[in-house]
Amino acid sequence: MLLQQVVNGLTLGAVYTLVALGFSLVMGILGVLNLAIAELFMIGGYVGLTLVLADYPLPVAVLAAAGVAAVLGVVVEKVAYQPLRRAPPIAPLLSTLGCSVILQTVAVNIWGSDPLQLPPDLLDMRFDLGQASIGLAQVVIIAVAVLLVAILALLVQRSSVGQALRAIAENRDVARLLGVNAGRLTSAAFAISGALAGIAGVLIGLHYAAITPYVGVETGLKAIAVMVIGGTTSIWGVLLAGPLVGLVEVFSVVHGGAAFRDFAVYGLMILVLLLRPQGLLGGRAAGAQRV
Amino acid sequence: MLLSRRSLTLLAAAGVLPVARAQAQAGRLAGREIRIGAIVPSSGPFAEWGRANAATLRMVEEQVNGAGGVEGAKLKLFIYDDAARPAQAANLVRKLADDDKVLAIAGPLTSSACEVAFPVANQAKLPAISQASSKPGTAAANRPWAFRNTIDEAVLMRSALPFLKTTYKVAKAAVIYDAKDANSVSLGTRIMPEMLAEHGIALANAGNLASFNTGDIDVSAQVTALKGLNPDAVVCAADYSQAVTVIREMRRQGFVKPVIGGTPLISSAILRAAPDMPIISTATYYAGQEGEAAKRFTDAVTPVLRRTAGLPNTIEPSMYDAHMYEIVGIYLDAVRKAGITLADADLEADRGRIRGHLEHLTSYNGLSGPIHFNPDGDAVKTYFVVVGQNGRWTEKLRGCSTAGNLTC
Amino acid sequence: MSAYTAGLLAEIGIGGIAALGVYVILATGQLSLGNAAFMAIGAYAAGWLTVTHDVGLTAAVLAGALLSGIVGVLVGFPALRLRGIYLAMATLGFGEMTRSFFLFFEPLGGAAGFSGMRQLQVSTIWIWLGIVLGVLVLLARSRLWLTLRAVNDDEVAANLIGLHATALKVGAFGMGAAISGISGALFAHWHLFIEPGNFGFERSTELVMAVILGGSTVAAGPVLGAGLLVLLPETLRFVADWRLAAFGALLILVLLVRRQGLLDRNLLRALTFRRRGAEARPEAAEVS
Repeated sequence: MLLQQVVNGLTLGAVYTLVALGFSLVMGILGVLNLAIAELFMIGGYVGLTLVLADYPLPVAVLAAAGVAAVLGVVVEKVAYQPLRRAPPIAPLLSTLGCSVILQTVAVNIWGSDPLQLPPDLLDMRFDLGQASIGLAQVVIIAVAVLLVAILALLVQRSSVGQALRAIAENRDVARLLGVNAGRLTSAAFAISGALAGIAGVLIGLHYAAITPYVGVETGLKAIAVMVIGGTTSIWGVLLAGPLVGLVEVFSVVHGGAAFRDFAVYGLMILVLLLRPQGLLGGRAAGAQRV
Repeated sequence: MLLSRRSLTLLAAAGVLPVARAQAQAGRLAGREIRIGAIVPSSGPFAEWGRANAATLRMVEEQVNGAGGVEGAKLKLFIYDDAARPAQAANLVRKLADDDKVLAIAGPLTSSACEVAFPVANQAKLPAISQASSKPGTAAANRPWAFRNTIDEAVLMRSALPFLKTTYKVAKAAVIYDAKDANSVSLGTRIMPEMLAEHGIALANAGNLASFNTGDIDVSAQVTALKGLNPDAVVCAADYSQAVTVIREMRRQGFVKPVIGGTPLISSAILRAAPDMPIISTATYYAGQEGEAAKRFTDAVTPVLRRTAGLPNTIEPSMYDAHMYEIVGIYLDAVRKAGITLADADLEADRGRIRGHLEHLTSYNGLSGPIHFNPDGDAVKTYFVVVGQNGRWTEKLRGCSTAGNLTC
Repeated sequence: MSAYTAGLLAEIGIGGIAALGVYVILATGQLSLGNAAFMAIGAYAAGWLTVTHDVGLTAAVLAGALLSGIVGVLVGFPALRLRGIYLAMATLGFGEMTRSFFLFFEPLGGAAGFSGMRQLQVSTIWIWLGIVLGVLVLLARSRLWLTLRAVNDDEVAANLIGLHATALKVGAFGMGAAISGISGALFAHWHLFIEPGNFGFERSTELVMAVILGGSTVAAGPVLGAGLLVLLPETLRFVADWRLAAFGALLILVLLVRRQGLLDRNLLRALTFRRRGAEARPEAAEVS
């Protein structure tokens, strides 16, 4: 049973990692907490599940969800971030919250507030690990989480787009002087983070085989905790913090119940913020001072 | 929304709403308006329930007025959305009482909203009947104006547990509950442990009940823990949309056992979660319920709900739609029999007469038989122990929430 | 006045006081996404005192405010290490922890909630609002407020000229918490039933929204914002199923066209027909 709980914790950790990745990119580069990510994750899940239910192949569903969420991510950027670019970070925090409320209402009005469910036998293959077992969807989620973190980290660290993004993170005006098209790159960051949230939505929707318009809120808050614990300036941080939070959750909920679990997770987040404000893997100590 | 002639006829024949007689006696209240308020959560987490409630109410209004009203008076419903927010519900009671000058209120839906809205109804001396709240004692704490067209979960479990025990040979059960929802907490941590003991079923996880929070998508750890205890059945105290998550996870972990829970489990969504797993619950109405009145209600309201924008086109009427339908029926019954004048000057007296009528309700027949209210304000009516399996609910037992000499 | 109007006024008063708690903390440049927790502490403490110990309402409200203020100071110290979004996230975590605490703290009802309070008058709520507003307006004319603002504008410089930034920031946290605690105590004695769900993340963001919408530079701003948050959902009923979306859209619109909030010093002066040339100075950074 212990082994099974570890598997459960790692899967949940991968789920948080996937969602946190969406928050992390924009937060790390632009210093903005885009609360709408939680709802892009939910919308991505709905788009993907709807297509899977309509018998489209899985890759099509994932791509479509990523595409829709990316487009919505850019819309959020144009409406709620771009005009408030020079305002203190509370302003975009609240305007993206406004976007969240709108997206949630849209989902309720399109798909209803009842859970959208997949047929029980879809993706129902399991692998036996002796004392524990793991489902195909779980394996896929863990693999994709690792893969996406690696791809994003490479993208930010190695590619020219990544270099430009990091230049903007350092100093927007200097970056523009150096010929970086800041506006377009900001849009790209929102689009990529939206797409990541969308992919997370489909995979998580497939794994749990059910989705409601309200999944974004609770999962989103936990993913923000994961991002903070991992360190907002480090893409790899979420890969460490996700499973850590997943394991903490699994063991605290089994031994203390759900209220105690939340107490433990947010307690851990505050502890990390106080002892190591830059997060577990955050590089620069100045990271927390920047915004 | 237009009703087909067929559904009008069906409804009139159902006899739940006093249509035929109303036409015969047209006149006593001619030109007057029967103003009734309703509080439903059309936005927020229970939007589906609230919107279906609202559509059901509009159908009733159209149907009653299409048939000439009640003794010549037209029915006018004031339907407001509280977004399942307690503060909004409380203010809506004030609005309905003071601005809209209604005779009585149907709602609010959630127990949290009732907890703050019922005291306001008491202050305003306005009768209110909730269509869904089943948290123990919520109406009892707000007598004499608060009522609920629901039965205390403890009463229902007294029938459901013996059925579970004998049918599925259950000697040991484990509990999982939604720790954020007051209703589920009382069912999961107080009522069920007591009831299990009363019926000689061992509680496998006594002292460490499994719990999760409303909105959680992952309950794998809790289900693994439950599975490790190897119980014969699982008690799931949660509303259906959360229970779907638990049942899905049980099935994924190959933990296929009967699941028992309170009335909030009843929905068509939960039947799709794991068709091979038996779900044992109790209901005072379920889609597919036998009986003339219930069938006619289902046939009339289902197409209306499916046509309504914002609701899925496969939706089935919920227990709370049926309760709403009955609540309006009860109020109209009072209008006919309690000497209501509907004159502006008599508003306060009329509200008092309606309350008096509810207190001694004897002659009203709901969808499954007569309805009375016990001294706590909760309904005395017929209920069913139902099993959901292979995509449908099947009635297994019938009971009555008898109180004193009140019975079904 | 109809009971409905009275009910809305009570909501506005309670929300306004709680938002003023956020306003005071924000004045030192600290964003709190956890003030609902301070409301919860005030609500449960005052409710417990009046129900089980028969304490008078005023004493209970003050006790709730005091306890909440003490917790606020305790939160304020570690908060010194954090800034901006990071501070906001820490307070968010504190809020969720407090909510979870009341959820499993059975002596105060746990998830089943706590009741038994006697209802107060709407006028009582507005008297408290008047007192809090009065104190803050007096404060705004004092030297202390200027130093608070200075800490907000440039902490290092403030320290250099001998202002004790640490004490000011922690003090602001304690005062803001106490004010939100007053609001919670009144909430408990208006609604007569409290449960942990009343004081979650959603409530905390509503309080911040009230400040940002209404205006974060004058004390009347948060009260106006609280009024909008109560009245908008009521007046938007005609859009039916899209009510919450319309509310979200309006929020974004206000942020876009009037970033400093609806009310600022200039508008307030124009509205009250006061002319004080000496005070006419350009607005400092509006939102911190």
